[in-house]
Amino acid sequence: MYVAARGGEEAIQRSEALYHALKGPITPQLIQGIMESLPYLVDRVMGEASLYAPELAALAIAQSGGDLYEAVLLLRAYRSTQPRLGYAHPLTTERLFTVRRISASFKDIPGGQILGPSLDYSHRILNLNLLGDQQPAVSEEAPLPERPASPHYPLVADWQRQQGMLAPTPTHEASAPQDIPDVTRDNVLFPAPRAHRLQALARADTGGVLALGYASMRGYGLIHPTVNELRLAYAEVRMTHPLTGEDFSVGRVRVSQAEVVSNGGQHAPLLTLGYAATLGWNEVKLIAAATLDMEMSQPNPHPAHTEEFVMYHTEAIESSGFCIHFKLPHYVTFASSLDNLRKVISTFYSADSQPATAPAPQETAP
Amino acid sequence: MTAISSPLSYLNRVDEPRLIGAAPLLRVQGLCKRYGRIQAVQDVSLDVYSGEIVGIVGESGSGKSSVLRLLNLEELPDEGRYTLALPTAIGLDGVNLFSLDRFTRREVQTQHIGIVYQNPHLGLRMGHTSSGNVAERLLISGERSFHALRAAAREALAASDFPLDRMDDPPRKLSGGMQQRVQLAKAIALRPRLLLLDEPTTGLDVSVQALVLDTLKRLQRERRLAIIIVSHDLGVIRALADRVLVMRQGRVIEQGLTDQVLDDPQDAYTQQLVHAKL
Amino acid sequence: MSRLAALAKPQTGYSYAFMDAFAKRELRRRMLKAVAIPGYQVPYASRELPIARGWGTGGLQATLSLVGPETVLKVIDQGADDSVNAANLRRFITRMSGCQTTTDALQATIIQSRHRIPEEILREGQILVLQVPDPEPLRAVQSDSSACHHMHADADYGQMWLVLYEQLVRYKRYIQGASYPSLVNGRYLISPSPIPRWDTPKLHRAAHLTILSAGREKRIYAVPPYTDVRPLEFSDIPFQVEDQRTWADERTGARYKFMNELPQADGTARYELSDTGYAEKLIAKQRGQAVTIGRTYYDDEGNFYHDGYLKPPVIPEQGG
Repeated sequence: MYVAARGGEEAIQRSEALYHALKGPITPQLIQGIMESLPYLVDRVMGEASLYAPELAALAIAQSGGDLYEAVLLLRAYRSTQPRLGYAHPLTTERLFTVRRISASFKDIPGGQILGPSLDYSHRILNLNLLGDQQPAVSEEAPLPERPASPHYPLVADWQRQQGMLAPTPTHEASAPQDIPDVTRDNVLFPAPRAHRLQALARADTGGVLALGYASMRGYGLIHPTVNELRLAYAEVRMTHPLTGEDFSVGRVRVSQAEVVSNGGQHAPLLTLGYAATLGWNEVKLIAAATLDMEMSQPNPHPAHTEEFVMYHTEAIESSGFCIHFKLPHYVTFASSLDNLRKVISTFYSADSQPATAPAPQETAP
Repeated sequence: MTAISSPLSYLNRVDEPRLIGAAPLLRVQGLCKRYGRIQAVQDVSLDVYSGEIVGIVGESGSGKSSVLRLLNLEELPDEGRYTLALPTAIGLDGVNLFSLDRFTRREVQTQHIGIVYQNPHLGLRMGHTSSGNVAERLLISGERSFHALRAAAREALAASDFPLDRMDDPPRKLSGGMQQRVQLAKAIALRPRLLLLDEPTTGLDVSVQALVLDTLKRLQRERRLAIIIVSHDLGVIRALADRVLVMRQGRVIEQGLTDQVLDDPQDAYTQQLVHAKL
Repeated sequence: MSRLAALAKPQTGYSYAFMDAFAKRELRRRMLKAVAIPGYQVPYASRELPIARGWGTGGLQATLSLVGPETVLKVIDQGADDSVNAANLRRFITRMSGCQTTTDALQATIIQSRHRIPEEILREGQILVLQVPDPEPLRAVQSDSSACHHMHADADYGQMWLVLYEQLVRYKRYIQGASYPSLVNGRYLISPSPIPRWDTPKLHRAAHLTILSAGREKRIYAVPPYTDVRPLEFSDIPFQVEDQRTWADERTGARYKFMNELPQADGTARYELSDTGYAEKLIAKQRGQAVTIGRTYYDDEGNFYHDGYLKPPVIPEQGG
């Protein structure tokens, strides 16, 4: 009897084919197109997948027909098969090639407010002219400045720390990159190391982080955030070559970083900081994530803002997977509950539907 | 601190022979506890004998509830020794209970110390049955017979003058007085030698309060309990306590027989306290 | 624009059995620890796999780190070999490992299962991998996992007993359905995964090794061979399995095995064996084909193979 049951397999293949029938064919042009024209979508998927690979992310988006949880799962599952060949050098904020950097805490900050790429002040109007088979509109190109701005900017928090507004950074030995706890390779126990927390936020589901972060901002939180600094930047990833020992640049990646502050936190009257960073540009997620980081550090936060709650429930793959798993058959477990239900009914209700007071009829063991 | 011998009035009611001047059941020495900038408890020492009721009075913030939490091993002090004269077989004779590991500490807390809180939410699972609340103590101590649990819960509830036809109602459906009786039944279910009461009748009607106090007195007589009661209500203390400690800013500033302290307070603060209550 | 693929080594495909060697090594070490401390939930990192979380990724990681070319694999969901989900997992494991498959519980060396244990008694050397959605039996009484951790460390299970007490007071019986909390080796409380109560006793002093793995919750635990497993029950009110005494499989007439109830339009119900591998063999035997049917945990009169382990029901006296 060394044969596989084949009953379900054909059904699976047909079902998958039906899913793909709704979308067109996947071509290299499509993948290239997604990568080039939907960078913010690609960034969101790469961030949640914690894998910086725009081409693969575009492929994942195309292959899943745009179902983002599926796209992130595709990338994550691919990521988990990849060996770890080396560790990049640590990055500091000052060395980022920053293209957008704003602070809501001050009117002006050392280095200036750099608005950079943003839809914040755009009018959200559908450009209906682009519909139909008219000439493709010329994309609006940003004019080049006469004098390029500096790509490097200091941290607002550094200035605040100099002024004594912030609690001093805890001093500890710098860890070697390979010794930093890795949420994808370690078991997570609570209270979690800070590295685990920040990594979990970096790859958290955008919508999930927003929901919990928004709950904090709306008043369930203990403290009110102010965006101290929000950055979009390119980071140069540098490594030491394993054979030659030379430092070299692996390439540039888009990164974003947010810091929020509050004066009502555990360091009051000093300012309390919340921090988040992720691969790709994803501002809404980071503001919410940095707020949650700050909230989680408070003594006795709201139950939905404890570290365990946030880390478990904003996990994109685990939450979406468990949610859709309820489509799987559960008839064995259901039968087990039904058995109890019938017994309880027969114990408490006799034939004429009156609550029974006498002991139920004797049963025998199965 | 000079140990004051316990009043002898109840000794002839005790059903087992007892040596006068036997070692105290509870002995606390040099208790100190600080929360941040606040010294909540400062050098408190206390001996309590079996069958004795000791009251602790003071205004809110005087440290009396902190002392009770420490005695219930809910928290650990910064300094201090705490011993209970438990049966020798338990092997904790002369052992500082604050130095126990978490597991043993919890065992001592469950088995040998009963507590009734002012707020029944602290002591009870409001949605479970009342009998279940009492049975949980026996479950923790290893009782695994359902019928034995029922019998024990019934016995403890009856001893606390709780109406047994309501033993399976959840506490949230009970009146304040009855909730306190469930707490009491839970506290005495494992027959501890020490009972801690934190404002047990505060917020109850005067008539209900009197009945609960009657129950407490009867239990103390029948079971030869050592009771420590914390209250800001001097009437309750006068009705119940043999001895009283007056606390202020974490320190014991006066102590003695209840009548003595309340009728003839020596310390200026105690005088103020007594007169404010009159 | 030069494509990354042009610069890198050509893709050589996936590792044997999908996961890389480091991940498999981690899993094997965690399983050894789980065997060494029966019932203790060992945390592990839990890699993302190409199937969705909650669909058996825990069981799959365990199976993938145990599987080899010699493996004979059986995969079931709700007892059925041919369910879509079981077929999908089987397809993935064989594709990645080249192992053989079977529907016969006796032939299998590894059985990955969701929600069932086969009816035929498993033997030494076989490994049953159970998929676990929620490994924490204390979750219902304590949602904070650090607090649960302490409770396990202290064997502080009073609240679980209290749940049973409350059930007896209110319903005169235990009303926990599947995932009946059970004490392993007298020490750690486990969720046996959502197997029906019918299957829980099969873990007791079993000859085979059971690995329980939760991918989403990242915990793995084990019931080693010949280890005590006791459902939580008061000494005077015994635990009861599902009562399907009057149910018979419509194709074979078999009784005293776990059944699926199939509601009919006329208000009645038909019944079929939940264990399809076993049903297949019974049918083959009735057709006169040569098949080996193993001894079952419950015999044809419904007696469990460990005498005295299951007891007749007792209705608790309430008293007031």
